[in-house]
Amino acid sequence: MKGMRFASIVASAIVPAMVFAAPAHADPDTDFTKELHTYGIYGQKDYNAWIAKIACKRLYNGVDQDAEKSAKFIFLQLQKGSTTEQAWQFLGAALRTYCPEKLPILDASAHQ
Amino acid sequence: MLIKASVAAAAVSVVAMALPAVASADATDDYPIPNRILKTTCTVDQYMAAVRDSDPVYYERYMIDYNNKSPEVQQAARDRIYWFFSMDYAGRRQYSEDTATNAFYEQLAWNWPNWAKLFFNNKGVAAHGTDTCAQYPPSDPAVWNW
Repeated sequence: MKGMRFASIVASAIVPAMVFAAPAHADPDTDFTKELHTYGIYGQKDYNAWIAKIACKRLYNGVDQDAEKSAKFIFLQLQKGSTTEQAWQFLGAALRTYCPEKLPILDASAHQ
Repeated sequence: MLIKASVAAAAVSVVAMALPAVASADATDDYPIPNRILKTTCTVDQYMAAVRDSDPVYYERYMIDYNNKSPEVQQAARDRIYWFFSMDYAGRRQYSEDTATNAFYEQLAWNWPNWAKLFFNNKGVAAHGTDTCAQYPPSDPAVWNW
């Protein structure tokens, strides 16, 4: 049961990939902010974009080795009262927007 | 009689001039260096790794600044902060006093005014970092490589 719930949370980060595979825009930060709004994540645009880029950086240099660690990092930076699901949604959006080559880590978590 | 009075008055005014200068420039237990930094038993590497996780944007900004300095200044900053952390509370408190009362005391500040920003400038960041720093490895050179 717990495993299923986790899988569905991870899936919630993957599914929007199909929805948001929209045309490229000039400013990725704007698109990223818009996507966050659909998850009920607000706050400063620059701050959120920076957290997303830092999340990518942490994956590249090995500070975060998998999607769980990355989602945990993001969760701690979101406003108090945010949900685990929102952290995963944020992570999915961050990977798609700023480091798509890291997207496979989401599949790796979903299949655990 | 008149001479006596003027000597006394002069003595009083001299004291009045001398005292405020000393008092106003003094450091406190929380300024200019936060109390948490004076007291923490963590290493530099532990503290930096903790701030990398707790205040990532603050850390990012500091490291961008650091990466824009010459290798010599970077080395000087690392040496200086390791030296500071090698001291006990009394030594750190004295350093805090020295920098607060003498703008020429910290030579490194002329090369890089914000050289210790990650450590000294923000009580909130210092509090978050020192809350969790003990969980990180004492030695981790990767914290400077960002």
